[in-house]
Amino acid sequence: MIRFIFGRRNYYPSSGEIMASMEDPYVLIDKWLRAKEFIVVGKGVARADALEKALGKAKYVEDYFQSGFLFIKQVLSTEPHAKIKGINVEEALRKPKVVKVITASDIPGENQVGYALPDQPLLAEGKVRFHGEVVALVVAEDIDAALEASEFVRINYEPLPHILDPLEALQRKDVLVHEEVGSNIAFRTRIRKGNVEEGFSKADVIVENEYRTHHQDHLYLEPEGALAIPGLDGRLTVITAAQYPHLAQSIIARVLGVPASDIKVIVPYMGGGFGGKDDEGPLTAAKAALAAYLTGQPSFILYTREESMRSHPKREATIIKYKSGASRDGKLTAIDVTIVHDTGAYANRGPFILWRATVHASGPYHIPHAKVDGYCVYTNKVYQGSFRGFGNPSVQFAAEAQMDELARKLGIDPVEFRLRNMLRPGLTTITNQLLDHSAGIADAVEQLAKVSGWYSKRREYGVSTGRFRRGIGIGVAWHGISTSRGVPDWSNAYIKIDKDGSVTAFTGIVEMGQGSPTSSHRQIVAEVLGAPIEKIKVTFGTSDAPDGGATHASRGTSIGAIGVLVAAAKIRERLNKLASELLNCSPDEVVIKEGKVYVRGDIERTITWEELIKHAYSRGVDLSATGYFFLPKGKFDDTVGQGQAYPAFSYVAMIAEVEVDTETGKVRVLKVWPALAAGRIINPQQVEGQIEGAAVQGMGYVLMEQLVFDDKGRLLNPDLTDYVVPTALDVPEIAKPVYVEDLFKYGPFGAKGVGEMALIPAPAAIANAVSHALGVRITKLPITPEAVYFEVKKHGLIK
Amino acid sequence: MKVSFKLNGEDVTVDVEPNEILLDTLRLKLGIKSVKRGCERAECGACTVLLNGSPVYSCTLLTVQIDGKEVRTLEGIQDTPEVKALVSKFVEAGAVQCGFCTPGFIVTAYAMIKKGVEPTSENIKKALEGNICRCTGYKKIIDAVTKAIESVK
Amino acid sequence: MFYRIPKFNYYRASTLDEALDLVSSLNDFKVLAGGTDLVIDLKVRRYTVKNVVDISRIKELDYIADDGDRVRIGALTKLQSIADSPIIREKVPVLADAVREMASWQIRNIATIGGNLCNASPAADTAPPLYVLNATLRLVSKEGEREVPIAEFFLGPRKTALRSKELLKEIVIPHEPGCGASFLKLGRRNSFTLSVVAVATLVKVVENKFADVRIALNSVAPTPVRARKAEEYLKGKEVSLDNITEAAKLVLHDISPISDVRASAEYRKDMSVVLTRDSLIKSLERIGIKV
Repeated sequence: MIRFIFGRRNYYPSSGEIMASMEDPYVLIDKWLRAKEFIVVGKGVARADALEKALGKAKYVEDYFQSGFLFIKQVLSTEPHAKIKGINVEEALRKPKVVKVITASDIPGENQVGYALPDQPLLAEGKVRFHGEVVALVVAEDIDAALEASEFVRINYEPLPHILDPLEALQRKDVLVHEEVGSNIAFRTRIRKGNVEEGFSKADVIVENEYRTHHQDHLYLEPEGALAIPGLDGRLTVITAAQYPHLAQSIIARVLGVPASDIKVIVPYMGGGFGGKDDEGPLTAAKAALAAYLTGQPSFILYTREESMRSHPKREATIIKYKSGASRDGKLTAIDVTIVHDTGAYANRGPFILWRATVHASGPYHIPHAKVDGYCVYTNKVYQGSFRGFGNPSVQFAAEAQMDELARKLGIDPVEFRLRNMLRPGLTTITNQLLDHSAGIADAVEQLAKVSGWYSKRREYGVSTGRFRRGIGIGVAWHGISTSRGVPDWSNAYIKIDKDGSVTAFTGIVEMGQGSPTSSHRQIVAEVLGAPIEKIKVTFGTSDAPDGGATHASRGTSIGAIGVLVAAAKIRERLNKLASELLNCSPDEVVIKEGKVYVRGDIERTITWEELIKHAYSRGVDLSATGYFFLPKGKFDDTVGQGQAYPAFSYVAMIAEVEVDTETGKVRVLKVWPALAAGRIINPQQVEGQIEGAAVQGMGYVLMEQLVFDDKGRLLNPDLTDYVVPTALDVPEIAKPVYVEDLFKYGPFGAKGVGEMALIPAPAAIANAVSHALGVRITKLPITPEAVYFEVKKHGLIK
Repeated sequence: MKVSFKLNGEDVTVDVEPNEILLDTLRLKLGIKSVKRGCERAECGACTVLLNGSPVYSCTLLTVQIDGKEVRTLEGIQDTPEVKALVSKFVEAGAVQCGFCTPGFIVTAYAMIKKGVEPTSENIKKALEGNICRCTGYKKIIDAVTKAIESVK
Repeated sequence: MFYRIPKFNYYRASTLDEALDLVSSLNDFKVLAGGTDLVIDLKVRRYTVKNVVDISRIKELDYIADDGDRVRIGALTKLQSIADSPIIREKVPVLADAVREMASWQIRNIATIGGNLCNASPAADTAPPLYVLNATLRLVSKEGEREVPIAEFFLGPRKTALRSKELLKEIVIPHEPGCGASFLKLGRRNSFTLSVVAVATLVKVVENKFADVRIALNSVAPTPVRARKAEEYLKGKEVSLDNITEAAKLVLHDISPISDVRASAEYRKDMSVVLTRDSLIKSLERIGIKV
């Protein structure tokens, strides 16, 4: 990297070199990190998309559908595990208006869409591995014809024994979901830090428990859909709901066997994603693209809610065995954790999810000796995938239950016990990564305990023997930002300023509700350029923007906006230089603010933003730039799970107050207090929205959401009647968040990730509060009324 | 069969099969896109419209059922003072995230204001019980509706 | 996209007579009252039918009438109209309580009480209050009218005493002053959800003794049920928490819940007892008695 080459003696740089150095991304990121005064950053600026959405004018995938487009209907497997002896499409093809029936053999490119492992076909080939797997696509001139014909695709199955329980799958070799693997273990992870035997020998108390967590459906309100139009813009253009247009582009290109440059992907407004459309989006797009490619006609697919729930990946179900020890003075000495993820029929992103769970297994605590083993296990169920928190809510639930139990045994207050062990700058994680900066969780937890009245409530509650019992619980969590294990991560964006002074930023980051392109990106561009925010337009979700990575892992702003910041900062340097010539001052003295360009301390010498841009055009200043930034890579040794896991971590805590009706088992969450140490808060209103939404989604997961499978692995509740999510009448009071702005040196203005955060500690906080109320440890999710009632009954808590 | 009704104040006639759903008629034949297809089973509220002034789900009404009736969608009420207030408070309060549920919420909230429901927090939540939002956690939506009611009083 | 309904013939009746003509001349039909259950059932192919008779426009069946000693509700009265009705709130508030917790505002604006009853779901929430109110259903056909006590109306899941050419005309609820009644529903969330168990109870107390007790539950048997054994136990007994608690346990004699995606049979059984007790206490509170 080039830093401050001016410092070299006897060196006279050319103007090009000066510009290159001034445009070094490290220099620019650092410069803006040090900004002290802000025009729009840190303010609750309304989102650019809010108005058109509130008016119902925002367009989602289905809004681009026009009659005359072909319609695609999926044929789903009715077997959990079976050989496909043959697929007879003749009868379906004879139905009126049917154009094509597509099966695996029609795929011109590769029928391979596995993200982590090459184990997953787009359309089932050879066998089906879960009830609900897509076997064929019926393409017809209208919806009714496609629907009718889809019932006449005859699939000849030879049923195979199936396996649903991950622990059983782990043991058995006679029933294999993927024969070529030789076992049902898709992936393994491990961490070996220090010596756990030694660690446990130093422990005065040891707690050992088994935890179980369950699947969750994203239930984004907009089901999956895609529209593929051949020849539009000279390419096959696919409008789809996917969280990473460039990934959709590459998957489509692979399935069709064409170069990525022949494919254009546009992601319009998306009706929620939460990770689900990171996995399913590219596959949805590939199905539409396949039909359009094979028929030469615009083709459209939209899942029914039932199809969506049957076939798209779910939050992982887990079994976590957790042993931890602590010394009498309240210090953790060792943990030994085994994590089993039920990955279902395909690995999908399961290995990455397991990996994340593994390195976060400790919770945000310093532990000298750690041993963690992870198993990602195949079963004949719908596969697991990305969902807000990505393997972390389940393991933090287990880790935080352990913390409470250790604290109880030691007779120390749970918050106090956590604070004694909390990660702080200068300490190492269980992967032995040194946290050199940006670790503000201890401060956040201390503040949170104060605002929630923790200490008095913790003493006061949990002692009642009446019907209604109150409890208060805490969950503290951490979450690595960006991709992991030293896998490369980068950011990029392209910005141009038009002659009229309006600014467009192009990014592959999508808008799925989180608002990064329509709020924080816009604020960052406005702040850095000094242009009025109304002049900033962010064109998002397009594969024509430089590839800047996915909108997942809470990286939409934290990583996604680095590219935006760098591109804007490059242009700003050029504008400063130009303005300094126009205003006869040094570039450092140039102020650009609210449409005015002037010399610091001399408001008289001023021109307008528009004038400045006109001058730039007439004097040959380039007003376009990309903002490529490659995050420094760390080393990671997978054999022992040691090394740099992530460039930075966001931290989050939640305190929950609950009331349990011991007679019905019903848990009411009365209030939650969230705290976040996620670097700079670029838009407090939007961050609050993410926290509130995640807290409620987490509460729904813990208290009511439950997928029920029958003995063939068939989902019995693929609808919102029986898969219940919170309504307006189910939500608790949510306190104003506590923020600790522990700036991250590479984040835009020091920002870290936010989107997933508040969901991660929610299971832990609520379960710990219920455990406190009842005096009984909750080790299994969900905590439905029925589950709580039978716990109460089992422990004889009521007559 | 021919079905005539008032859509956002205008008389319209459509030719539909009896099995056609109002949601499809609105979206696919009449170009009304604020009405969203979320679940198609009367479970989410994204397709809420006003039928003779009352909020209903357009996904569970046969189009033939509305023959001779009056349907209003967000497109048809956006210039009312109530909807103007709702829209501006939704924007201000940060009550819009993915936006897919938002039109349904605004239509229902409008009907609530028109019905003269006493705007307590519990009443607002009760009126909105049939509109699911998966993004916001409802807090800012309830805030926005509360503020909108105050502003049109 | 999309749930599509298989094609059917559509018939619309504007008057009760037209409706009766239609149902007596057609075979293989379903009646559409509000359609909030029927349309979904058609979408998910619970039924496929040749003919649908839309009776939703029969204005003469949309009313709530106060006859002093009884309240009559037309079969096509919308659930929301019932929840909002001053007559219902004053005379039979337990019905308003139950209806208010049914489905969502959007559905209550379309769904009718007749539809809820004739759909005969074991989880029908209008049934328990109508059971304890001793409601009578007036059924009508071209041959004439007959009255069926509500407890004899439900024959099984989706099965009723309605004959093929018959329609439900109105629900007649005797007004019994001095009774206390309440409704409690346990669902998987606080609103817009189906009952795991729901209970309605009604009590009449004379000189601190139970002069009359009626208990009805849904979602715990193939049809909504009366808990006769528990009722009998309490009749004539002194009003006390012990007696109520003892009686509540006896509901188990009259219920036969199953396990499904919503709850296990065991949970339903235990909750039937808890809700019955709580509802009896609440019913007593309604007439100013604290136990």
